[in-house]
Amino acid sequence: MKRLVIIPQVWGATALDTALSAGQHLAGDGGFSVLLIGSQACALDQDLACRAGAETVYQALHPGLQEGDDPYAVACAVSEALAAILPSPREPYLVLLPPGTAGEELAALLADLLDGQPLGRCLSLSVEGEAVIAERAAWGGRMRIKLQVESGLAFACLRAGRAVYNLPVTASICTLNLHTSLPLGWVLQTHESSERLPPLEGASLVVSGGRGVNEAGFALLEELALRLNGTLGGSLPAVDAGRVPVLRQVGVSGKFVSPQVYLAVGISGTLQHLAGVSLDSQIVAINQDPEADIFKVAAVGIVAEWQSLVPALLEALAP
Amino acid sequence: MKILVLLAGVADMRFALHPIRLTPDAQILEEGTARRLLSPFDEAALEVALKLRDGNPDTRIDVLLLEGPNTENLLRSVAAFCPDSLQALGIQAARLWHSRESARQIGAVIDQHFPEHELVVVGRELGDLDEGSLPPLLARSLRRRQFAMAQVAQWQGDRLLLMRERGTREEWLTVDQPLLVSVTNDKRNRLRHPLMKNVMAAKRRVFTCLPVPVAVTSGPALRALEAAPVTTRGGQCQMLGGDSAHQAQALIGWLKDQGVHL
Repeated sequence: MKRLVIIPQVWGATALDTALSAGQHLAGDGGFSVLLIGSQACALDQDLACRAGAETVYQALHPGLQEGDDPYAVACAVSEALAAILPSPREPYLVLLPPGTAGEELAALLADLLDGQPLGRCLSLSVEGEAVIAERAAWGGRMRIKLQVESGLAFACLRAGRAVYNLPVTASICTLNLHTSLPLGWVLQTHESSERLPPLEGASLVVSGGRGVNEAGFALLEELALRLNGTLGGSLPAVDAGRVPVLRQVGVSGKFVSPQVYLAVGISGTLQHLAGVSLDSQIVAINQDPEADIFKVAAVGIVAEWQSLVPALLEALAP
Repeated sequence: MKILVLLAGVADMRFALHPIRLTPDAQILEEGTARRLLSPFDEAALEVALKLRDGNPDTRIDVLLLEGPNTENLLRSVAAFCPDSLQALGIQAARLWHSRESARQIGAVIDQHFPEHELVVVGRELGDLDEGSLPPLLARSLRRRQFAMAQVAQWQGDRLLLMRERGTREEWLTVDQPLLVSVTNDKRNRLRHPLMKNVMAAKRRVFTCLPVPVAVTSGPALRALEAAPVTTRGGQCQMLGGDSAHQAQALIGWLKDQGVHL
């Protein structure tokens, strides 16, 4: 069973790192190859893929990809590249995409375009002979299902932490020039939103609020996040209530974050929410309910109302 | 404008999960008293359609709800929002782990019964077993493009606009072709409360079920279904006591110990 990691370069450094990590995690004895795809070759990305242990790095280039990240256009370009890379569509191949919403969408599109099987967002992946076994969460994280693909192409996303880049460089680099005609992207009107905080991706500290924090409270959390050189997140109920934009939703249906410290304010600690926080992150829980589940997984806990504690924190942090 | 809304429902997280098991022929069997309700994404999809009808009374809303436990009660709760039609769809929501096949089956029904609907609106994840694969696959099955992660739909005169946020920008699309729109939760599409008279009327409704084509059994096999193990974190929660000022100082001290730059 061969493994191939596909990385649309326009998706950025986090996508590159998390996809390479998945490749390393599943490399086994057979190693893995990497397909970098974009409008221009990137020596840095190639170098990282080599130092992550890739056996072969394919640099696929399509001038039509320079404008954006339309998943269907990316899928069409990747399909052309795979036609050149894969000896036969029936040969077993585990194809890994960057974890996250965009990667999961791309996995589904590629599976359909190439008559493979989409395995989506996997909790674990393993290879047994020529079969791929995928474990996925279901029913809000309360159940697990195991899917098995016996043959052909399997497309999956897996979170496996961060990649390491200290492996001997043995990879050969092959350039693929793509020519397929890509679907036209959306004609969109864009406006700047009021979003100014740093993104969740890559933040070393996230201050996150839940259902119990009102609009004024989120303003304080934003101030606290900035004072702590971090950024702001929120639970699904907080997003539903309009306290924080959906781009800052943490959880199984939102973003996955892996900060050093995750400061959860007024968050009860449901499975769905905690599924979006790395096991490596240290959770600080602030909640007025001493029985809240969040305290069972936190490193530090404070039983308090945010209305008193957050202002006290801001005062103590004042220059 | 004709809109088809596709809903699946999810198990209510406020209650213990009903018994679910795998049969010898690898089918998921849901037993006991299941409490299924609309997911936040289902609700957002339904509200988007309702808002468009508010803005243009010529808009027609048809709703399909995937079968599963507690279907009739869930249909009644949706009926209280007075869609122009509402039917169950004869595919079990618990089957959606096979997203390609499910998308083909659902797509075939839409092609047959709702071919002229300009918009197919669906939550960005459908039910308890889809993690976001189904909307793009359904769009492929319907030979439509997908506008993903929509947060707002509104009329501007005769034009229908869709909006989503990406990074620090809002992206607005003027709809000029049949689309599949996958909707995410947002304060602007929180589901309204139904009128009590409509809730009461919904209790008397009788519902039909649209059958789906027989599945072609190929693709992945469902090998196991089991309760999720308890995830272990570092935990060992160190509780910080005292008044707010003391707790704040203690927390700042702990953050400094972790190397957080203050």
